[in-house]
Order: sequence, then C-alpha cells, then structure tokens
Amino acid sequence: MSDLIARSDRLRAAALLSPAYIWLTVAVFLPLSAMIFFSLLSDVPFGDRTWHFTLENYGAFFESTTYARLLWKSLMLGVTVTVVSVIVGFPCAYVLAKVVRGRARGALFLLVILPFWSNSLVRIFSWAIVLRGNGVLSTAIDAVLPWDVRINLMFSPTAIVIGLVHSYLPYVILTSYLALQAIDDSLIEAARSLGAKRRTILLRIILPLSTPGIIAGAVLIFVPVVGSFMEPRLLGGRLGTYYGTVIEDQFVAVFNWPLGAALSFILLAVVLTILAIASPILRRAQV
Amino acid sequence: MSNRFLSRIGLLYLGMILFFLYAPILVMAVMSFNASEFYQLPFSYSTEWYERLQRNDEILTAAWRSVWIAIITTIIATTLGTSAAIALFRYEFTGKRVLQVLLFPPIAIPWLITGTAMLIFFFGVGIGRGTPAVIIGHVALALPYVIVVVTARLSTFDRSLEEAARSLGASAWQVTRGVTLPWILPGVIAGGLFAFAVSFDQFVVSYFLAEPGDSTLPVLIYTAIRKGFTPEINAVSTIIIAISMGIMLLAARFSNFGGER
Amino acid sequence: MKRLLLTSILAMAAYGANADEIRVLNWQGYGTDLDWAVSAFSEKTGHTVVHEYFTSEQEMLTKLRTNPGAYDVVLINAAYTAQAQEEGLIAAIDKSKISNMADLDPGLVANVDLNPGGSMHGVPWTWGLTSIAVNTNDFSDLPTSLSVLWDPAWTGRVSIRDDGLEAVQFAAMATGQNLNEISDLDAVKAKLEELLPQITTFWSSENDWNQFMSAGDFAVATYWSGSASRSIAKGLPVAFVVPEEGALGWLDGLSIPASSTKQDAAHAFIDWMVDPEFYVKWDADGAPATSNLKAAAALPEASFNRKVLGDPDVVAKVQFMKPVSDEKRETYLKLWQDLKAAQ
Repeated sequence: MSDLIARSDRLRAAALLSPAYIWLTVAVFLPLSAMIFFSLLSDVPFGDRTWHFTLENYGAFFESTTYARLLWKSLMLGVTVTVVSVIVGFPCAYVLAKVVRGRARGALFLLVILPFWSNSLVRIFSWAIVLRGNGVLSTAIDAVLPWDVRINLMFSPTAIVIGLVHSYLPYVILTSYLALQAIDDSLIEAARSLGAKRRTILLRIILPLSTPGIIAGAVLIFVPVVGSFMEPRLLGGRLGTYYGTVIEDQFVAVFNWPLGAALSFILLAVVLTILAIASPILRRAQV
Repeated sequence: MSNRFLSRIGLLYLGMILFFLYAPILVMAVMSFNASEFYQLPFSYSTEWYERLQRNDEILTAAWRSVWIAIITTIIATTLGTSAAIALFRYEFTGKRVLQVLLFPPIAIPWLITGTAMLIFFFGVGIGRGTPAVIIGHVALALPYVIVVVTARLSTFDRSLEEAARSLGASAWQVTRGVTLPWILPGVIAGGLFAFAVSFDQFVVSYFLAEPGDSTLPVLIYTAIRKGFTPEINAVSTIIIAISMGIMLLAARFSNFGGER
Repeated sequence: MKRLLLTSILAMAAYGANADEIRVLNWQGYGTDLDWAVSAFSEKTGHTVVHEYFTSEQEMLTKLRTNPGAYDVVLINAAYTAQAQEEGLIAAIDKSKISNMADLDPGLVANVDLNPGGSMHGVPWTWGLTSIAVNTNDFSDLPTSLSVLWDPAWTGRVSIRDDGLEAVQFAAMATGQNLNEISDLDAVKAKLEELLPQITTFWSSENDWNQFMSAGDFAVATYWSGSASRSIAKGLPVAFVVPEEGALGWLDGLSIPASSTKQDAAHAFIDWMVDPEFYVKWDADGAPATSNLKAAAALPEASFNRKVLGDPDVVAKVQFMKPVSDEKRETYLKLWQDLKAAQ
C-alpha cells in the first residue's frame, strides 16, 4: 500500500515538475552548455576562423588581478545593495502587511510593484535627470535652501547604489510581505497578552517567521546585482567598470565570446559557492 | 510610544518609500511633457512628444507586441512555475537539491550571456528567431522568479493542513485546489506580476531573438539610445504606466487580493 | 538627359522584370535607412529595401559570419574590409555596375584597404574624422592642441568614447606617434593614465553625447565630424576642432556579401548611395563627407563638410585608420580595460 502511494506521488511530482524543468532545459541549460563549450575554445567557431580547445580563458582570470578585483568590487556592490534593500524594504513590507488594513492594502501593494513594470532603461535615464548637476534634486534643494547649492551625485558609486536599490527594492518588499502576511495575528495577540514587549515580539516571533521571505528577496537581489552592467555603466561613468560591464564588453564590443563565457561561469561558480556557504547559517536563522 | 503613534510613523515611512519608488517615474512622466529634446530644465510644457508618438507606428506596434508577449509569458510561466514550486514543496526525492540549485543559473548569469547562448542554440537547433523564440526565452527567464516567489509563500504554509485534507479522503488535486492554492494565491499572483515585469522589460533576449522589424518595446528603446532617444520614449512609457495603474487599481478594488487575514 | 532617359527605361523594365528585396546591414540612422532615400530607390528601380542594424563592427562581422545569404549590402569600415575579404565574407565589386564610379575620388577608389587582393571589395562611400569638439559656452577661443583634454582646468568635464582602440589612438597622437605604427606603448599607457581622472563619464552614442553636452557635463570631448554637424544644426553650443596633432580619419565602404543572391540590385543600391542627388539632400540633415567629388562640389558653401573637411590644411593633418591585427587589438583592449578597472 505504502509502495503504491510512493509511486503515485513520484509520478505526480514528475508531472508537476517536468513542464517547468523541460522548458528550462531546452531554453536555458542546453544553450548554457553550448556556452560552456564556447568558454573552452580559443575562438568562436563561426565562418573560417580556426579554433582549438584551451583553458586559457579561465586562466585569464588568474593571470592578472584585474578580473578578481572587479569581481570583488561587484560582490561588494551586491552586498551593499542587498543590505540597503533589506533594511529599507523590510519595515515597508511590515507596515504593508500589518499596519495597513482592508482594501487599501491590496491597492498599496500593487502600487509598490508598479514601478517594476516601467522600462529599466528609461528609469535609469530618469535617475540621471534627478541626480545630475542641473537635475531635479539639485534644483529642488537649491530652491529650498537659502544659499547656492549645486549637488551632483551622478557618475559615482552612490548613484549606482541608488539606481540598483530602486530597481531591486520591490523584490524584497514583495517576498517579505508574502511571509509577513502569513503570520497569524492571533499569535502576536497571544504574545502581547502574555506581557511580551514589542521588541521581544519583533525579535522572537516576527523576524524568525518572516526570515524565509527576507532571504528569498535577498537572494533575488544579490545574485543579479553582482552581474549587473546597465546601472554601473550609465550611472557610474568613469567609475562604472564592474565585473558585469567587462563581461558585456566581451560580447558586445570585443567579440571575445569564449572569454566572456568563461568569466560568466566563474561568476556563477563564485555566487553558488557563496550561497552554499551561507545556507547553513541562514537555515539556523529560521526557527 | 503608543501603538497609534508607531502606526503613524509606519505609514509615513511607507509614504516615503513610495515617493522614492515613484520619483523617477514622475520625472519620466513630467519629462514627457517637457519641450526640450535633451531633457533639459527649466520645464516648458509641450504635448509634442505625444503627438509624435501617435504618428510613430514603430513604437506603438512594438509596445503592443511587448504587452501581449508579456501576457502569454505570464500565463505560461505562472502555471509551470507554480506547479513546480508545489512539487518541490510537497515531495521529497533524490535530486531535489539539484533541481533547486538549477534555478540559480538563469538569475545569476547576466541575461546577456543567456541571450547569446539562446541565439546560438536556437539557431543550431532550428527554432531560429521570431516571436515563438522570444516567448520561449521570456518564459525561461521568468520561471525561476515565479518558483522562488511561490516557494517563499509556500514556506509559510502548514503542511499538516494538506495531510489532514488527504486523510479526510480528498484527492491530490482537490487538496491542491481547495487547500494549497487559496493559501498561496498571493504568492502566485506575485509570481505572475514578476513574470510580467521580467518579460515586459526584457530587452537582451528579445534583441537577439526577435525578427528584425518585429521589435519589442525594450529593444526599440535600447537601439534608440544609439540613434536618438527622444522623449517619445517617455510618452509611451508614461501611457503604459498610467494604463497599468488603472488596471491594477481596478483589480484591487474588485478582488480581495492581499486578503483580509 | 540621355542618361535620365536611359535610367527611366531601365527602371520601367526593371519594375516588371525582377523586383528584388534587398537587405541592408548598417548602423542605425546612418544614411541608408532614410525613408525618403529608400522610397526614391524603390520608385526608380522597383527593388524594395529592408534594413538590419548592428551596434559595433564586431557585431557586424558576427552577423555576416552566422547568416550567409541574409544580407545584400553591408557597410564595412575600411579598416575591416580586408578581414572580411580574407574570411571570404564579401565579394568583389563589379565597377561597371556603379554608374557614379568615375566621379568618385580616385584616391579613395584606389585606397589599399578597400582593395584587398588587388580588387575593389568596398565602394568608398563616406569618410569623416573623429576629433575633439568643445562646448562654446566654456571656450571663447578654440583650443588648437589635443593637450586640452589633459588640461587641469577641465578636470571632470572631459569625455571620450569607451573604446579601447580609439583611446589608444588618441593617446598615440598626443604623444606624437603615428596611430597605425605605435612604437611606444608605455608612453601611450602613461598618457591614458593621466587622462582618466579628467573624465567624468564615457559617451557611447551621438544621443548620449548630445544629452551630456546640453546638460553642461562636457567642456571638451571627442566626437565624430558627421555627428558634430548634426549637433550644431540642432542648436547645441558646439564647435568642432581639428588640433595640430591630428585627428582620426575613417573611411566607410559599402560592400556586398559573397553569399548574396541579389548582387545586381545590391550594386544599384550602392550606386544610389554615392549619387549626388542622394548625398546633397542627406548632407542638409548632417552627414559625413562623401567620396563623390561631384557631390562634394555641389554642396552649399555654408555646409559643415565643405567648410571643415574641404579645407586642405585640415585634411593634411588627418591620420586615416588602417586595419589593426587581432593581437594588437587585444593588447590595446586589455590595456584599456585594466586602466578602467583601476579607477
């Protein structure tokens, strides 16, 4: 009897999983395998170009410190953006889940998501208009303060972080909201009636129960930010060279696909390693 | 510090965040009414860009194409992604870890790489370019997000509810429909919203896979950067946001999304 | 008159006979895709034109390599024509099918880069300069030397394009070297190291450049001559300068992929592109210099191209870009990348 259940369960699991994973295999994993193949070549196998197998693309990462330094720079950017997003976004999600009541909650939630749908390039350009020398921010502050002020935040790491946090904030707000909203209010009521202080409730009940949401959001932010190139390039100016922009160069300007592919897989490996190391710690944070 | 006071602070904070989130959107909208071709202040009102937009078939077709590609992508990605998330949550089996880890490459690897890889592979395999290829690409990119978001919601779900329903004689499908899905509906909808955003804003993959001449809006904008980025782009983006806002507010009014828990 | 009659007869014959659809591969907004130009061509010959674009020379080469038979006309910068020919990507031009050939500048027609293997593989079409342009709000007297880019008075208001090859070439000119025979790469590297702190941001397209210039972000920046004429026409406070050290010269040619099946139509399109009737109208909106001497002579006096590029002193200072070997290109790119990463 139990054997039959196990078998039918397995079939069910397979039925639920296969459409998604077959799709991913055809559209992503197989193409990426082609890319791994490319990363082991000396040159792209198109036209009349000669090529041979080699590990030199991966070796290039270790040849000079440039790539490693850029990767570190990108990782730090990832950490900064993630931490800022979580600190800014979690309270926002909490207010949305626990303070706002009724129909307004749904509407506000959707309003938070809406900027997500605007085109990212247009958004970045809009940030440029806000942050630059004669821009909206500078003009506004100048109008308010009595003395002459000219603020130019553009082409700096600050601008990059602002742009990225703005783009990725909805991720952590969303996932935290989903987790927070699931917390039973009566749980909090009970704790309060037992005399627990607000801080205790926060630290012992709310945070642990919403950690899965926070972590999911953090991962969805950290991973893409490390490889990002649009915001660093457009908002960072001269200082906007990051690991992601170098990879982009290989594909768009330099046409060294094997190197670009190798660099991306190194990125993937590093990111997965970080997540693997962090996961037991994160697991302990959950109740 | 009374609860009331804290609530007020909380709402104020939420207001500030919303302001931050909408700042560039507002700037984008205001600039669409600004006469300057180069986005220069001081502001002077003009509807020229909207008039130009009306005559600009290219942008309008591209925008429309982006919308319905995004809708199709959302439907497919949400269905497939939710099923997969439920399966990962409900069942234990060997290789589960591997499947979970496999969700990362699409998110970690810059879309530029994945897009190029898709281009080469699709070309070699015969899928080639065109709208079906674009949709295949978009769904693939949206899937991991849907799965992660739905999983986040599922992690708050009490599995014993499912087991209880099963022990009362409900079939697996009935359990899913009656117990699991209602609970995770916010997660599913969130995943759907993500999928739409991913598809609608996707330009890298679309750039590689779209048939030239059959552009999507993000591709048009991206290439317009080279040629001339006039505020017509702002005009179309503003219209899209305005329509989206309208739809969303209507949806919020008539459905109980978010739930009265 | 006789030619007009002949053309009309041929056109009418062509209409019914073989109306082809040709695909043109070019930069977006670079002359070949002008609506009026395309319709005029279709009316004259009956052929229709479809465009596809690239955003870098490398992308252009990739598209040629991976899409045999897809394109009929492709724009290839003279520095890349030899490479395309070596890889078997482009066919020799049949000069007899280009009626305007006799009016083209003989120097350009004989240009060794457009004639790899001794036969023409790219019809010289446009040429121009990459030099410096200044914000006239900042400069009452125009600078005469490239060293203005390094002038501490303009720290944080300088810009160049994010292109390793171009950066190296400018630094080479600034250190008095021939940009095609760079012997002292260390001097170039040192010069670039000094340049980078001057830069506020890199520009990558005409549109970028215009926006930054009108926002006052740039005081002096490198720029293309054709784009400069357009920006000036738009009313931006810009002046184009060719300094004493020289400017980068580039020559663009129209080539025909070897795998094209519509080479006759392709030749006809190229012929239209070097035709004075097309060029003079294009120049009014802002265009690079033409290879057609008759067309150049037909330009109005006040035209930018006539004033700046028609000046023999200016032309004497120009160093035209020659093909760069893959190894050299990689060295330069790596150099540039390392410098950028160290910022």
